[in-house]
Amino acid sequence: MILVGLILLVLALLGAPLFAVIAASALWGYYRADIDLSAVAIEFFSVGTMPFLLAIPLFTFAGFVLSESGAPRRLVRITRALLGWMPGGLAIVSLAACAFFTAFTGASGVTIIALGAILYPALTQAGYPERFNLGLVTSAGSLGLLFAPSLPLILYGVVAQQPIDELFRAGVLPGLLMLIMLSGWSLWVNRRERQPLSEFSWREVAGALRESAWEIPLPVVVLGGIYSGLIGVSEAAAVTALYVVFVEVLVLREIPLRELPRIMRESMLLVGGILVILGVSLASTNIMIDAGVPQKLLAVVEQFVSGPLTFLLLLLVFLLILGAILDIFSALVLVVPLILPVAAQYDIHPVHLGIVFLAAMQLGYLTPPVGLNLFIASYRFEVPIVRVYLATLPFLLILLISVIIITYMPALSLWLLPGT
Amino acid sequence: MTEPPGRLGRRLSERLERIGRGLEDLVLIVLLSAMILLATTQIVLRNAFDFGFIWADEVLKLMVLWVALFGAVAASRADKHISIDVVSRFLSPGLRVASELVVNGFTAAVCALLAWHSGRFVYSAWEFGDRLVGGLPAWWFQIVMPVAFGLMAWRYLLFTGATALRLANRWRYREP
Repeated sequence: MILVGLILLVLALLGAPLFAVIAASALWGYYRADIDLSAVAIEFFSVGTMPFLLAIPLFTFAGFVLSESGAPRRLVRITRALLGWMPGGLAIVSLAACAFFTAFTGASGVTIIALGAILYPALTQAGYPERFNLGLVTSAGSLGLLFAPSLPLILYGVVAQQPIDELFRAGVLPGLLMLIMLSGWSLWVNRRERQPLSEFSWREVAGALRESAWEIPLPVVVLGGIYSGLIGVSEAAAVTALYVVFVEVLVLREIPLRELPRIMRESMLLVGGILVILGVSLASTNIMIDAGVPQKLLAVVEQFVSGPLTFLLLLLVFLLILGAILDIFSALVLVVPLILPVAAQYDIHPVHLGIVFLAAMQLGYLTPPVGLNLFIASYRFEVPIVRVYLATLPFLLILLISVIIITYMPALSLWLLPGT
Repeated sequence: MTEPPGRLGRRLSERLERIGRGLEDLVLIVLLSAMILLATTQIVLRNAFDFGFIWADEVLKLMVLWVALFGAVAASRADKHISIDVVSRFLSPGLRVASELVVNGFTAAVCALLAWHSGRFVYSAWEFGDRLVGGLPAWWFQIVMPVAFGLMAWRYLLFTGATALRLANRWRYREP
């Protein structure tokens, strides 16, 4: 038993696809419990019956289309026109634009590629120190994770069976906290350069708005619809996907029609990678719950933990380690079903747990050795990975403080929920 | 070096490979487009005419399963599955090829097992005459699982063969 676990762990560390490792552990678990192995297939099939999953391929596709169009440049222009007058303006512009874009593209690493390529040189040109720029762009690449309609939030709703619109509301204040704290830090670091980027000009605002006229309805309809509860997540995703193709391919013609199949294939490759892990995880968590793993986990936790406060501390440490090793999607589908019942014992609200989980996992994008953003930034800006580590460190610390605040102030997550 | 396969054989296998890729891509593109169109049509029908296809929601969910599995097949082809991959960077080139061999062989075996057992699941659904989406045979929708896992097993088997060849070549050239 332990031997099999160790072998699987070694295989995972050697770079075996995670879905294969998880599937192997599920198959092994069913075999040991004397259950017919086709039960794994039955569990996997429920990927085709779960609600809300439809939103994941549709939003991912829309995000890929947007990031290949001129939308990132237009987004930066608007944010610049609206926020550029503030001291340290461009840093704040970068953070806000990245958060917005990440939320819309579901935190798959495309933000750094799509927006970083515009913001990084712009920041350097505006006279910000290179190291600061590198850290800022790298850490901003996963900043919008807590805002609707980010994929991890949707996936948490699916896995934990929590209402997705409540999760979207719960993410607003914690997400803003992260944004404000990083903005504050950026202002403080560059306090000697209090030069605003530009004067506020109504003409520039109007020009930027006119340029983006086709894209502005999108966040209004999607975010307005989702946050008000008027349209469902899957419906919003369908409208977004269709509208984005209509605008970027047919109206603005920034993406040639013949490129569309490639974008479809690339985006579905990512979706397949995520959902196949979800499918095999359904099987593996099922067998673990059958084997009483959550109860055993609780028994272990009880030895160290006296109340909710210490539980949250333990949870946070665990999640930070987890986030450093596993990507957010795998961590979600594997771990959430196991810690959910344990957290319930300590009266942690499942929605709050989700926000804490995702906020902690967001740090995982930035923690060495395997943080995804670090690699993407190193690759994209052709900078040695160790330099990216060092440049990101202060931002990582600020985010860590914000995650601690989010963890210990449940009200921040729960305040906007109906009926609380 | 091993004897290269006959020219005709290679041309044929390259052509088959190209056709296979084209088909995989086509399935993904058709599925995604159909999902977008069906989901938006449904919204229009519901809001404008207070009407909708009762089967649409169920079909859309099943299409997610299909897209997921064919996306996973495409990810296998590009060897772009989500993985941890921290250790391999620290291995010597020889050890790295050896570990790739183990990893690819393992993945091929797991996919083959998944294909086999989901095949059994589909077979029993066929045998018992399970129905989905208002009376259609369930196996029409479930057949995607053995097919996709089978294709993934085949892909990783090819990777395993290729890494084995690389390892054998390294070994041969090392000999004095």
